[in-house]
Amino acid sequence: MDAFPQSELERIERAGGADLVVGILDPEHDGQAGCAVAMVREALADLSKVARAVVLCNNGNQSPDGAATQTDSVGRPLAVFAYGLPAPGPGETPQSGISRAYRSVFTVSGKLGVRACGVIASKFRAVTPQWIYRLVQPVVDLGFDLVAPRYTRHRMEGLLNRSVLSPLHRALYGERLQNPAGPDFGLSGDLLQRAVGQDFGTPRGTESDPVARIAPAAAYGGLRVCESHLGARTQAPTDWTNLSSLLANVLGPVFLEMERQAAFWQRIRGSSAVPGIGVPETVSEDTGTVDVHRMIESFQLGTQNLGDVWGLILPPATLLELRKMSRLPPGGFRMRDDLWVRIVYDFALGHRLRTISRDHLLRSITPLYLGWIASYALEMETAGPVEIDARIERMAMAYEAGKPYLVSRWRWPDRFNP
Amino acid sequence: MWDQVGQALSHSTNRMFTQMASLLPGVVALIAALLVSAFAAWVLAAILRRSLTSFDFDRRAARWGFPAFAEWPPAKSPTLLASRAIAWTVMLVGFLIGISAFDAALTSQFVIRLLAYLPNVLAAALVLAAGSIVARFLARSVLIGAVNMNLQYGRLLSAGVKWLVTVLAVAMALEHLGIGGGIIRLAFGILFGGIVLALALAVGLGSKELVSRSLDREAGKTSNQNMREPVGHL
Repeated sequence: MDAFPQSELERIERAGGADLVVGILDPEHDGQAGCAVAMVREALADLSKVARAVVLCNNGNQSPDGAATQTDSVGRPLAVFAYGLPAPGPGETPQSGISRAYRSVFTVSGKLGVRACGVIASKFRAVTPQWIYRLVQPVVDLGFDLVAPRYTRHRMEGLLNRSVLSPLHRALYGERLQNPAGPDFGLSGDLLQRAVGQDFGTPRGTESDPVARIAPAAAYGGLRVCESHLGARTQAPTDWTNLSSLLANVLGPVFLEMERQAAFWQRIRGSSAVPGIGVPETVSEDTGTVDVHRMIESFQLGTQNLGDVWGLILPPATLLELRKMSRLPPGGFRMRDDLWVRIVYDFALGHRLRTISRDHLLRSITPLYLGWIASYALEMETAGPVEIDARIERMAMAYEAGKPYLVSRWRWPDRFNP
Repeated sequence: MWDQVGQALSHSTNRMFTQMASLLPGVVALIAALLVSAFAAWVLAAILRRSLTSFDFDRRAARWGFPAFAEWPPAKSPTLLASRAIAWTVMLVGFLIGISAFDAALTSQFVIRLLAYLPNVLAAALVLAAGSIVARFLARSVLIGAVNMNLQYGRLLSAGVKWLVTVLAVAMALEHLGIGGGIIRLAFGILFGGIVLALALAVGLGSKELVSRSLDREAGKTSNQNMREPVGHL
């Protein structure tokens, strides 16, 4: 709670509390809280149940701003308080800074006992008032507890989501979400209080990433989940030299959460679609070409050099398959879905068993991930949106089909080792 | 004259038996010390073997960076090695205690010096073990980092780092044991400097083309990917 002054919380509570908290977490947001406040005002104009809102900007400017009450377009009084979250510390990485900002937003929301909380962590320049409305409205008006985003994506966008996060969440928790790790969310006060807020302040809570915990917590709590179509999302260009850090930062918390909820997801069979809110935007045609040669080279280099490391995580049959793959010609380079699924499951298991240092484990998956991207790019070279959706559906089905393998290895890691 | 010879022989025999008799308590003490230490060694080894087996030490040791342990036959597993090492250490200490029971200044001093040297041996063993673990950890970090950076000579870098740390650990262990003195320092300096120089030569000169090609590809890759690959991960 030190991220947000207690005195300000008390001031808001004395003034009647708040119905909604909106967090704008993009650290590159220019620092002008007024822009965010205006956007929230516009978004809330059609939400009759929200009269008081708090906007938290992750811009390092902690002085209160825009605490005035104004009337909206229909003459209803609407008070919007704006605050800035503190700037990141000297040794803080961007990833830990975002995690801290999420925690601050959730903690403030929990303390104020709000009805709903909206978090926008995507690039702020792509965000419109409609985004905030579409994330918050299903919670406030329709009674949903978690609103996950559904973006309009090109063929080569959201690859980690397509290959791991989404199908893994679907297989484990039985809910088909395009982006279980957001990063934009709408949450109910119930979800905040019951699921997200319960571990804050504990030693384990400080090391876990709140983003990876939201969707599993909603599934575990049996809460109502939906997806909201937000349109296209602006993404930072890929930093290829830091891909292993990205994988470690994203997959580490997901595997940790998997460990925490193991008793729950082992009981789940199959999956079901969640309601979709809004209308999906059509995808513009893909014009870019993908050079997969370097990815295949990375995969081959990994197969040559990381065999000893992978041998501690993957069973011999998988290693043999990978060696065979590394000898395929570039044109015929393919990674089978069931092989990729087993790799992900075995890495999750290795993470749980601490087979090797967790950082080593998470970083050593990079060449395998690049191999999957190369295979996917070659396969989908001329594919349209329908074919891509069908391809991703096949991948998700492979995750579900491979779940008994995961459960067996999770329960008996030594006895069941094909 | 024969009487005198007989008396002298009798005195000598008496002295010999007296000397032998004076050694008997020491021998009995040595045998007792050996028996007690053998029993203690057996008990300790059994406890250690059971503890390590329940801890799954053999498998864990392989995971901690000693994959060769996993290939050892069950008759020579790391668990058995550790328990036997403990047993023999206890037997050795028992033997030294037994030796000290002989009331001889020379043996007592020898035993005292040997016992005083034991902490150095333990410290050297600890340094070697820690050095081995750190060397393997760093070697693996370098290997994974190099492969992820698409460097072709990741194995060479990894082996270089491993040997640097191992040589450092061995030199420190020998320093603790007091073996070699100045020669060890000199040899360490030469070996350490040699490994660093070899690495520098391998990367900077021997692999010049490889490095330049790799760097070219890195630069080209970044610009190419920004232009040609609209890839997003999240």
